[in-house]
Amino acid sequence: MSESNKQSMSNYKVPGMRGPRNRQVEKPKDGKKTLKRLMGYFGNEIKSIIFLLIVVMAVVAASVYAPRLQSDAIDSIARADFDRLPEILLIMLAVYFVHGLGTFLQSRSSAVLSQHIVRRMREDLFDCVVNLPVRYIDSHSHGDIMSRMTNDVENISNTVSQSLSSLFSGILTVTGTVAMMLYLCPPLALLSCATVLLTIGATKFLSKAMRAFYRKRQALLGELNGTVEEMVTGYKTVAAYERQEAVIEEFDRTSEELTKSGIVAEILGGSMGPVMNVINNIGFVIIAAFGGYFAVNGVISIGIISAFIVYAKQFGRPIDEIAQIYGQIQTAIAGAERVFAIMDQPREDKSGDKDMNDANGVITFKNVNFSYVEGQQVLHDFNLEVRAGHKIALVGATGSGKTTVVNLLMRFYDPDSGEILIDGVNIKDIDCGNLRQNTAIVLQDTVLFADTVKNNLKYSSPDADDEMMKNAAVMSNCHDMIMKLKDGYDTVLSGGGFNLSQGQRQLLSIARAFLAQPKILILDEATSSVDTRTEKRIQDAMVKLMENRTSLIIAHRLSTIRDADLIVVMDKGRIIEMGNHEELLAKKGRYYELYMIQFSGNVI
Amino acid sequence: MIRYLKKYRLFFILAPLFMLGEVSMDLMQPKLMGIIVDEGVLGLSNGGTGDLSLVISVGVKMIALVLFGCFCGIMSGVFANLCSQNYGNDIRKDAFRKVMSLSFEQTDHFSTGSLITRVTNDITQVQNLVMQCIRGFVRTFLLFAGGILCMLTLDLSFGAVLVCALPLIVICVIFFIGKANPKFVILQDKLDKLNDVMQENVSGIRVVKAYVKEDYEKGRFGEANDELVGTQLDVLLLFSYMTPIMNIILNFSIAAVIKIGAIQVGNGSVTPGDVMAAITYISQILNAVMRMTMIFQTVSRGVASGKRIKEILDCEPSIADGDFAGECAVKGKVEFRNVSFAYPDMKNEKVIRDFSLTIMPGETVGILGATGCGKSTLVNLIPRFYDVTEGEVLVDDVDVRSYKLGELRKKVAIALQKSEIFSTSIRENIAWGDPDADDEQIRRAAAVAQALEFIDQKAEGLDTQVTQGGHSLSGGQKQRVAISRAVLKNAEILIFDDTTSALDLKTEAKLYEALKKEYAGMTKIIIAQRVASVKDADRIVVIENGKMAACGSHDDLMESSNIYRDIYDSQLKR
Repeated sequence: MSESNKQSMSNYKVPGMRGPRNRQVEKPKDGKKTLKRLMGYFGNEIKSIIFLLIVVMAVVAASVYAPRLQSDAIDSIARADFDRLPEILLIMLAVYFVHGLGTFLQSRSSAVLSQHIVRRMREDLFDCVVNLPVRYIDSHSHGDIMSRMTNDVENISNTVSQSLSSLFSGILTVTGTVAMMLYLCPPLALLSCATVLLTIGATKFLSKAMRAFYRKRQALLGELNGTVEEMVTGYKTVAAYERQEAVIEEFDRTSEELTKSGIVAEILGGSMGPVMNVINNIGFVIIAAFGGYFAVNGVISIGIISAFIVYAKQFGRPIDEIAQIYGQIQTAIAGAERVFAIMDQPREDKSGDKDMNDANGVITFKNVNFSYVEGQQVLHDFNLEVRAGHKIALVGATGSGKTTVVNLLMRFYDPDSGEILIDGVNIKDIDCGNLRQNTAIVLQDTVLFADTVKNNLKYSSPDADDEMMKNAAVMSNCHDMIMKLKDGYDTVLSGGGFNLSQGQRQLLSIARAFLAQPKILILDEATSSVDTRTEKRIQDAMVKLMENRTSLIIAHRLSTIRDADLIVVMDKGRIIEMGNHEELLAKKGRYYELYMIQFSGNVI
Repeated sequence: MIRYLKKYRLFFILAPLFMLGEVSMDLMQPKLMGIIVDEGVLGLSNGGTGDLSLVISVGVKMIALVLFGCFCGIMSGVFANLCSQNYGNDIRKDAFRKVMSLSFEQTDHFSTGSLITRVTNDITQVQNLVMQCIRGFVRTFLLFAGGILCMLTLDLSFGAVLVCALPLIVICVIFFIGKANPKFVILQDKLDKLNDVMQENVSGIRVVKAYVKEDYEKGRFGEANDELVGTQLDVLLLFSYMTPIMNIILNFSIAAVIKIGAIQVGNGSVTPGDVMAAITYISQILNAVMRMTMIFQTVSRGVASGKRIKEILDCEPSIADGDFAGECAVKGKVEFRNVSFAYPDMKNEKVIRDFSLTIMPGETVGILGATGCGKSTLVNLIPRFYDVTEGEVLVDDVDVRSYKLGELRKKVAIALQKSEIFSTSIRENIAWGDPDADDEQIRRAAAVAQALEFIDQKAEGLDTQVTQGGHSLSGGQKQRVAISRAVLKNAEILIFDDTTSALDLKTEAKLYEALKKEYAGMTKIIIAQRVASVKDADRIVVIENGKMAACGSHDDLMESSNIYRDIYDSQLKR
């Protein structure tokens, strides 16, 4: 872990250090609107923004004024007027001090500003994410949602903290410098502007040439990293099929190509500096030649020439910077657009004000129709009544709609038509939180948190005491396993419990559900990775726990559900058979068929 | 690692040489500027009348020099890139090749994540290190040393400013870097924490909602967020001191140069032009010092990365190749002789204990047992993913350690529990089993594996691209693709390591039926959870805690083994 930390550290941007020159610039779709909205976040910080602006102005004034003083000093040296020098130097030091203090205040206030904004933005985004409908999360790549939270917000933060004040000061510096130059000597000022134009032209030309190669390199780098990740993760298969040579060949090819385009890209990128240097020097000679000419003719003093040299430099840099910042801001706005896109998603509908604390647990599905994607109906006119205290099982092939029933009951999704009732009350009228509090669920893909075992178990019921927690663990057959862990119940599960086997993880989530003492318990393939004998023991415990409560079980293994009061056989979103084990076997229908396959075993 | 540079030593030498050219031009510039100002504009030696023709002639000379410098700079870039990137490329290729030859004991030891960073990120760091050494470091050092030299040749008294300013800057830089580095580590830590919370909530949204924990999670996130923001602010505030302080030192040095310059001009030992040049030099020198610290950062990172890569390059595969070419009279026999096995990290905890079993050619053996009882480990010993701790494993009557690894693995086709699917077409994924297979053969293998139906339902059939990690396929589909691959290999021994867990019973039954029909002579070893999956095997082995608990046909075991009956009852009792 510490290793990866050090790794990513190198990617962290040191404040004040400019990023690589040609980072890819992304264009927002509707920049104006997003910018306006982004400004909303600045609204609360108006005081710090005004303060920042004032400070930036002071800094710019100082940095424009300082060269003037420098030239005065040189002038007085040239004129051998040494008496005035101490005074000039003193003012100079004072100006430098103001400049330093200003820079300090500037970076400080922009840091505070950016962090305030980012904190609020992250909070808002997270608030939206946890309240998103499950449908949204299911249908969007998790990586994408994550990257909005990390990369995009980070980008906005960097832009606010660095680019904003640079942009202010850049614009002010340019205007200030031009004004100063015009004041000192208009013809020379125009000449300086000409060289700046040359700089801009050259930059534009070179970056255009570079961009194609950088883009190609980026794509190849992505490909290469993808190959490494895939082949190292799937190394066992690579080795089992003796594919090492082929894999290496492919890797080498990508690596070779990456190197080639990398070399071109970097050479072009590296030539930017020297070329700029040439242009700057040409500018210098032009200023010196014409300045000299003016000086000879007595239009200006030599000190003004030296000031001009400084100004020309001071003037070119911010223009170059503004061009880069413009790209950064565009990228940040594109990121903000993606962040706002999530925030604009409608929140989960949690309306309803009834509670079901005293419910018996009668579940009724009435003419329920449902489709995840329009046109592909998953449940067709689904009708089912589950009596209170019953154990009901759903069986059927993958895609027959078993999990969908659970999704609807938990209100992860709402039916397209029809209604679901608990004790005769439509679940839409029940407070969503209350509904879920009274319904515990264990999923096939277990979710554990990077926290202690204890906190993971108590997640369902924070008020439970340790005794209750241990009972739940014993019932779900994981107490012994937990005691074998390093710190028992206080063991921290790293990375969401990936140091446990899938079966162990399932046991923990069952314990968590037991501890919730729910009115309705749902197990969706919850024991698929637990061996059958352990499963049997858990079921025995469940019978005790779920006395007079309703439970709903989904399983592939028929052994898991044999004792159910009611077995519902589903196929393509419809119920095709219902009854208890004996009844269904006697019927010799689909359930019998499934059972016989399992019972008679496979023809090997 | 230095030996990798040998191939590019010409570039390695040329790059700094050209850099020397560029830097000397840079250093000559202020002097020429001084001449232009002093003689051309001011006409100091000419009694105060400027000489425009001198401005032009020196100016042209200067531009010529700068152009030459530009050429040198670009060439130095060319050679530095040729050197560093090819160097990185060579190491990257070797490192990857090495990774692809490691044994699983070693990959387990390094961990997958760390191997990936080493081959990708660490290589980039080392490449940057070389680049910085031959370009950044050389340039900065030359500018630094040359700047000092030039400034002192103007007038020795300017040295006084240097003596004061240099240590100040260096102390400052060291102080800030020293303060900042630990903060960066904390920062990364906090960032990871925030991402973890986010990740958990996105992927575990159902559980969060099911237990109505939205507000609790918001609190948890808020905490992580506040911590991150606090740390980030800490870092930013620290750096907000650095730039102004550096600037003040720099600017005060300039003032000092002017002051000293004034005195010397009064003495007549320097000219105003010299003072201007000195100002340029002093900023150059101090800037060089600041840049040097950044370079040291890169270098120290590069060295650390280099060490990590070296660990891989120096790694000798712990499973050595034998020299037996694999020609045997018997085909498809597997024998375990008193095998014990412990994972290297847990030497005292044996996963398999004194296990003996002979599987005859063409036989089908089912293996049952609780999670973590050692089933997977056992079959991993056959293709030598791991070597036994004690005892021996024989394939076709020859110890697996005597085989050439390639020959041994040709005899074994294995479909793993976690079906590994690669981001290429489904066809390509299956064809891994036999790269020379034609479409007909691939389709037949897929048909046996019961995969053809879902493949043909896809718009692009076999050409359907699988996304990375196989996320575009369901669990059962992934398993069937992996089974197709194993079947296509048509090896002597076929191993399913719980590869049918996500298939429904009907599909599983069809698969085994097809297998029996098409590949009757193959030795099959089938690990499963469901009794039904192995019930009809010739023999069923029940493993408990790494030991063989029972072995025999279904009927035998029903009779003789309590454990088996127990398992059977838990699943199939009427």
